[in-house]
Amino acid sequence: MDLDLARQAQVGDESAFAEIVRRYSPRVFSVASRFFRQRSLVEEAAQEVFLKAYTQLGSFEGRGSLEGWLTRIATNTCLNMVRGAKRRPEFTVSDLTDDEASWLDHQSAGDGEAPSVENELVASDLADRVLSVLSPEDQQALLMIDGEDASIKEVAEATGWSESKVKVRAFRARKKVREAMEKLLGHAIKKDSQAHH
Amino acid sequence: MPLKKTAKHITEILDNASIAALSESELNEVRAHALECGSCRSAYEAARLSAVVLKSRAHVVVEPSPFFQTRVMAALREQRETESVPAFARLWKSAKVLVSSMALTTAALGVLSFALPATTPDEQALSAYSAESVIMGQTADDQLSYEQVLSTIYEDDDDAR
Repeated sequence: MDLDLARQAQVGDESAFAEIVRRYSPRVFSVASRFFRQRSLVEEAAQEVFLKAYTQLGSFEGRGSLEGWLTRIATNTCLNMVRGAKRRPEFTVSDLTDDEASWLDHQSAGDGEAPSVENELVASDLADRVLSVLSPEDQQALLMIDGEDASIKEVAEATGWSESKVKVRAFRARKKVREAMEKLLGHAIKKDSQAHH
Repeated sequence: MPLKKTAKHITEILDNASIAALSESELNEVRAHALECGSCRSAYEAARLSAVVLKSRAHVVVEPSPFFQTRVMAALREQRETESVPAFARLWKSAKVLVSSMALTTAALGVLSFALPATTPDEQALSAYSAESVIMGQTADDQLSYEQVLSTIYEDDDDAR
């Protein structure tokens, strides 16, 4: 089915390629969202993925799924885009916002706030903050495994890395993120005690 | 065999897998150790919160807009059109302004060089001398002596009075 669609698109059937885009854009957007949060950047990356996929349709042999093949193209395209970006945000503890400090304080005290859109956003901002200590590749591995509960094998398939490489990346990334989070917690506690005095 | 409960051992457990993926026995071991060890307590807390924020981050997914498919198909057509144009035509498209201006300049120079009439010897005689030709063309007779220069200056002064 996937192979037929790919073959039709390859010989110039526009409707077949449009169907590929319609069917798999949620998956491609989900991959791009790991790397970018701004809609315009996610869309730009996703478009790049489909244009690249169109030119490489001939290399899709139908051994795996079209979704898996596109996931791999999406991962590599996004990694290249992030690597090519001029600046990546640096990890800092000093500019922790009041919301972030408060979230950390509540979570640390064990009285986790009720889940809400605002709290989810604050937690995501904190995630981006701690993830900034990692290389784009390590971010990718950790977000897939710890964020999306992907297996080592799934990450290996999506990235083209060996399973042992994925394990090493995930271990190293988890350690760095934990250490960054310890720094943030220390700063949040200090900020909170200053606010109470 | 009893498990070693060193700080290194605890942080290795924490870094080896997400908190959510640890077994009950591993969690009990970490928690028991964290009660006695301050650094492992903060490591455990940080690992727990890291897992929470990563889950939240994974939920942030941008959904494709309804126009995305149309946008991609338009970009694809544009890409195909660009590819179908021969390389020379593409080069010409990008360089035509530069090449045209160079051709115009060359044509203008050609007109100035060949179409305008050449200057006659009389006109040449009237044209300004270069400093070099004046110096090289000077004979000893042409040069004013020091006295002649002084007298010319004083003559001018006398005339002024």
